[in-house]
Amino acid sequence: MKNEASHLARPLLQTSGTYSPDVMQGIHTKAETGIYEIRGYGTLRPRRWATFDDLTFLPCGLTRIPLEGYREKCSTRTVLGGRFAKRPLELEIPIMITGMSWGALSYNAKAALAKAAAKVGTSNTTGDGGLSPAEREFARDYVYEVLPSRYGIDVHDLRGASAIELTIGQGAKPGTGGLLLGSKISETIAHQRDLPVGVDQRSPARHPDMLGPDDMVIKIEELREATDGQVPIFVKLGASRTYDDVKLAAKCGADVVVVDGMEGGTGASPAILQEHTGIPTLAAVCEARAALEDCGLYGEVQLIIAGGIRDGVDAAKAMALGADAVYIGTAALISLNCNKPLYVEDYQALGTEPYHCHHCHTGRCPVGITTQDPELMKRLDIEEGAERALNLLRAMTLEIQMLARACGKSDVHHLEPEDMAALTMEASIICGVPLAGTRKVFGR
Amino acid sequence: MVEIAAVAIDAETLSTREVNALIRSRLQGGATEIIVENPNARHNLAVALLQPGRVRFLGSVGYYCGGLMDGAEIHVQGSAGWGLAESMSHGSVVVHGGAGNGAAAAIRGGTVVIHGDAAARLGVSMKGGLVLVGGDCGYMAGFMGQKGTLVVCGNTGAAFADSMYATTCYVGGAIGNLGTDAVIETLTPEEAGMLNGLLAEHLPPAVRATKPAGRDFKKVVAGRKLWNFDKHNWKTWQDAL
Repeated sequence: MKNEASHLARPLLQTSGTYSPDVMQGIHTKAETGIYEIRGYGTLRPRRWATFDDLTFLPCGLTRIPLEGYREKCSTRTVLGGRFAKRPLELEIPIMITGMSWGALSYNAKAALAKAAAKVGTSNTTGDGGLSPAEREFARDYVYEVLPSRYGIDVHDLRGASAIELTIGQGAKPGTGGLLLGSKISETIAHQRDLPVGVDQRSPARHPDMLGPDDMVIKIEELREATDGQVPIFVKLGASRTYDDVKLAAKCGADVVVVDGMEGGTGASPAILQEHTGIPTLAAVCEARAALEDCGLYGEVQLIIAGGIRDGVDAAKAMALGADAVYIGTAALISLNCNKPLYVEDYQALGTEPYHCHHCHTGRCPVGITTQDPELMKRLDIEEGAERALNLLRAMTLEIQMLARACGKSDVHHLEPEDMAALTMEASIICGVPLAGTRKVFGR
Repeated sequence: MVEIAAVAIDAETLSTREVNALIRSRLQGGATEIIVENPNARHNLAVALLQPGRVRFLGSVGYYCGGLMDGAEIHVQGSAGWGLAESMSHGSVVVHGGAGNGAAAAIRGGTVVIHGDAAARLGVSMKGGLVLVGGDCGYMAGFMGQKGTLVVCGNTGAAFADSMYATTCYVGGAIGNLGTDAVIETLTPEEAGMLNGLLAEHLPPAVRATKPAGRDFKKVVAGRKLWNFDKHNWKTWQDAL
């Protein structure tokens, strides 16, 4: 007799919600290696928190008059650092390339980004390890980061910058220092950073010569002395206790505050920091604006927002909520072919696939961006990469302008919270804009 | 260029920006020595000096004196605050009194001599150059030192030479305790001779005579267990992380 149960009740696979396959794999890996997971890219979590996607623009109808989308001017000129600097940073667009180190990135990647930024009239930022030869040669305006590690610090490069960025934290891992695994500490990078070749470089979390805000007041003045007060001093914060940190940074004398949200990228960091520290970029921009307003410095101290800015839509929403400009990092790398289905077998050798790769930490980037291997680096053609990054910057700018014009603005910096509605209660509460379908701001 | 004799600047009624601008312009004008009167422990003096020449402060200075310097020679006839000579590329800074936290932080080259005591985190993240302290130093001296030479004639505080890469440290007195991954290595006769030479060069003879002989210094370097993760050194990493 046939076993009826065998075809009637084929058992379904049941998956534990607590010990899901990725959790089990994480435990297996730790049991083997004795250390937490280290990887690149940034948070991989499903976005269950409020994001820019939870907002929608409210273009003009009868209550507002739109600008002609393809005809009427909509300024994108962006000026940063007029609070104290004799020579504020003037940019053609409100999108800047964020700090990514030469070491985490290849020479070709740094060169391509610097060329693209220069051509469109915006800035690029140095990163751990100081100014790369690529930036020295190709940048129009570079922002010189002064990081806790002080790797590669050079007073001449600092004085040649269009702005100085005193970095306190990074969105992907606020409260911790950078990490560059030995596979990327080549002879060139080791020399630039004064390190032994092949060490796992663990950057400090704190600056070596200052601790809290009292010291930072003096530190900012030191940087002004070093640059004759010519250029703006930015203070970059990983989004954590954003409201209080932004207030402190502004009161300490920053010309510009940069806030980097938890969706920000990284070349290599412990995965748990990327997934479980900091606050999202949407929340961060709202807290930052409130902080500047509450200490009477909104408008006087500019705000740059970073962390998962993917396109002109995210940028426009960040600006409507209070940002004067945005930084992009990961999106810029994607424009250079990051995760593109090229050299597929090399993705597979890393145990991944195109569109899923987050293996920047290995130094084996299949498309030549996050590597110091000369052969892999050749896969990123500098001119082609520069053209692609330039196209991205231009397209993003057009997107911001399109939304601004539709909202009746002749300047992208005129976007404001009332140009938007929230699509979720959380976004309404966080951003202080009405929930669509109501005239109510929840939580107020 | 015509050499100009010593030039005096009275900082009493000038802003820091004005003092620094005057120092730079005088050095550019060919002055070989600038004497700054009444520094009054002010912060950010002689920052980012890029010309050769001697600057002598007749009194104490505050934070970051000589910070980001490349090529000048600074003498402080008093004490110095935090971050003395931080991130210096080349040049020398001599402090006749003591120095606050983070002296010689992240220097990439040059020489820092402190005749008195140094506070915490002396030579933190130093990337080259020479740091010489005539007296004692506080906790975590040499922390994360990458390159260069750190010499302490007296005693050190706790956690000495913690988490270093390749700085070489020499201690004439007692070590409070060693930091994570710091190890004592045998001093060679050549190194003892090198230390005698350094002390003779940087300390007055009468002071030198009160310091230990080169052969009596202890040499401290990185044990290199933190250079790359190894699960078998878990205890070391637990202490370090």
